Parts: sequence; C-alpha cells; structure tokens
Amino acid sequence: MATGTRTRRSRVTLIFLLLSSATLLTLDARDFEPLQRTEETLTDLFSPLRTGADRLFDPVGDAWNAITGYDELEAENLILREELQQLEGQQILDTDAAIRLEALLDVLGLPYVQDIPNVVAEVVTANVGNFDRYSVQINRGSEDGVRNGMPVVTRGGLIGRIDGDPGRRHSRVALITDPGFEVGVLVVGSEDVALASGSGRGGPLIVGKGLEIDTEVAVGDEVVTSGVDRSRYPAGIPIGTVTEIDYDEARLLQILTVNPSANADNLSFVTVLLYDPLAEDS
Amino acid sequence: MSTAGAYARSALFLVTALVLHLALFSDLRVLGVAPEVPMAIAVTAGLVGGPERGAVAGFAIGLGIDLYLPTLFGLSALIYTVWGYAVGLLEERIFRSAWWINVLVAAVATAGGLLVYAVLGELLGEANLYTDRLYVVMGVAAAYNLVLSLPLLGLWRWSWPRLLGEER
Repeated sequence: MATGTRTRRSRVTLIFLLLSSATLLTLDARDFEPLQRTEETLTDLFSPLRTGADRLFDPVGDAWNAITGYDELEAENLILREELQQLEGQQILDTDAAIRLEALLDVLGLPYVQDIPNVVAEVVTANVGNFDRYSVQINRGSEDGVRNGMPVVTRGGLIGRIDGDPGRRHSRVALITDPGFEVGVLVVGSEDVALASGSGRGGPLIVGKGLEIDTEVAVGDEVVTSGVDRSRYPAGIPIGTVTEIDYDEARLLQILTVNPSANADNLSFVTVLLYDPLAEDS
Repeated sequence: MSTAGAYARSALFLVTALVLHLALFSDLRVLGVAPEVPMAIAVTAGLVGGPERGAVAGFAIGLGIDLYLPTLFGLSALIYTVWGYAVGLLEERIFRSAWWINVLVAAVATAGGLLVYAVLGELLGEANLYTDRLYVVMGVAAAYNLVLSLPLLGLWRWSWPRLLGEER
C-alpha cells in the first residue's frame, strides 16, 4: 500500500516537474522578460559565492591545465619564441605596416573602430559545460546600450557578436570560433566581399564563399570586416591573416584559411561596439 | 535527523556541488571535456533516493546550471528530471544492487543522458549540440562520472539517512 502511494506520488511529482520545465522552456524561447529578470537576479545573488570559489580554486585549475596541457604549452612556447625573434627583427617594419594599413583603410573609406561608441565588459561566465564552447557571458546588457547582434572585439580584432536579446546587465556573446558564425569580410586591397566562418575552438577561420578565383590574394594578406550595406559589423575590424589559399575549381572560388588576429579563448575583458547599421544609414 | 534537516542537507549539498562544478570541475578538462557533475548529481540521487528524489534533485541542479548555460532555460532541468527519475525507477525495479553496479549505471546513464540532451536540444532549435565531438564528450564524461559517482552516492546517503531508513 505504502509502495503504491509512493509510486503515485513520485509520478505526480514527475509530471509537475516536467510541466514546470516545459513552461520555463516556452517562456525563455519567447524571451519572457520577468523570467530573464529572475535569472539575472538569481545569478547576481549567486555571484559572490561563485567569485569566492573561483578565486579559491583558480590555482587548482591552472595546475591541472599545466599538467594536462604540458605538451601543447611546450609547442606553443617554441612557436612564441620564434615569433618573438621575428617580431624583434621586424619592429620597424611593423610600425610602417600599421601606417600603411591605416592609410589603406582610409583609401577604402573604412571608418575606424575607435570612432564607434563602445562599452568595455568583463567576461563573467566562460564555458561551464560541454555544449557551450562557443559562447561567453558578459556583465553588460540593455542598460548599457547593448543590443542583439552588436559586434564584440578585443584589441586583436573581432571575437564575436551579442547573441540574442541581452538582459539588463548581462549579455551572451557568440564567439567567432563557432562553426555557425558567419561574417562578411574582405581581403585588404581587394574589393570582393566574402563570408568567413568559424571552424571550432582553436581552429582557423575559413573564407569559403564569395571570393572569386581571379581575385589577387597572397598568404599574409590581412582580412577585415567588409561593412557592406546593413552589415552587422562596421568595416575595418581586423579578422586575421591569410595563411593558406585553396581553389575550388568547380565553383571558381578561392578558399582562404585565416589565422584569427584575436584570441577567443581565455577572455577576461571585451569591448562591445554599440554599432547600429540602420542608425548609421540614416 | 528530522525531515527538514534532511532537506536542508540536500539543499546544501546541491548548492555546494553547483559551486564546485562552476568554479573547479568545469576547468578540469580532459580532451576538452569537463566532468558532468550536474548529470552525476541527478543520476546518483535517483540511485540512492529512488525516482522521486532523483527527479527533484535533477530538476534543482538542472535549474542551477541552466542559469549559466547558453541553451534554453529549463532544458537541463527537463533532462536531468527525466534522467534522475528513470535511473531511480530502474534501480528500484531492476538493480537494487551492489555498489559497483550503481557506479557502472551512473557512467552509462551519463553517456545516455548527454545523448538525449544533445538530441532534444537540437530538436528545440539549439545549434552545435549533436556534433562529431559528442561521442568524445559522452565517453570522457562517463569515465569521469564513474569516479565521481562513488563519493556522490555516499554524500546522498549522508543527506537522507533517516528518510531512506524509514522507507526500507
């Protein structure tokens, strides 16, 4: 008898919890604002506890990464040493190249990113699960002027865009490494607008659509956002450097492999460009 | 210990597990895969406390982790609820078993739960869940939870000593 009652009660509990979950899913899919506010409040309430634990366990995580990623670190160290030597030798040339790039962007009529209003944001949540490798959460939201689709950059260039309607004080950033992320680009010096997309964490960007086979592109060329009419991104945000060129003879297109100029891993602070293409048009 | 005390212990255990997952375990990655502590919580709750407590614990930890995931709010809660309940039901009707079988069940249930999570998530419009990498995630997370389930089973027994005693 008692077992029967318990079984019945557990079924009722299950149905209640399933209905609750389904309700929450539906409300969230419809961007129900009170739910989003509740989420934010709960996250804020939980934040001090989490921050404290983060500080406490950071050394453990660092030690773990040092142990499990030792080979990668060693290889990366070697590459960095080589790069450092090259950089030291080319410091003067680099300064010159920056001036030339600036001039080139000017010629192309590309506005500077610095002119666009922006807010600096802290990355409050990096990846906590195994299915969220391509997004981070930042501590700026609609109260700061952040809107869905706005570009997010670091000193190195574009790292993503605001994904979905932001909360009042939080937003989610879809990272450029996401295979589903697409951005209109052009190779500096050419006029062909192409589409670049991510290829997974730590991978290069692939420019696979739009770049005709006869467009002059060389390894080492800079790739920037195209900023074509109504693009989500202003023109001239650095994307990366061409490292490999392949040809799709069937479609008469060039496929570029681009080494991203900004590192989308281990982000601490980012800048949201408060860029509204429609406002720019008007 | 009173019933209220048992629930308080459970709540404390869940909050601690969530904080530890966010601050510590999510950084302890092997092949880029972090332990699935919330899934382990739901599954072990079902194994120790039966279907009802498995479902409640799964729902609670699912809501907690949903606050920090980009997927729809409620998706983890839904899946962990079902998984906690299902494992609890299996344990009640089939296993009633030795500790090592519970540990194995926790690992297999973790892999299965991740598969369901990815498939259901994709059906609900979430991208990048069902990918080639999913099977690596399932394998590593199952191995992790094979180890984690031992202390978690013990901690659930600590949380519900009197409740379990009354039911046996």
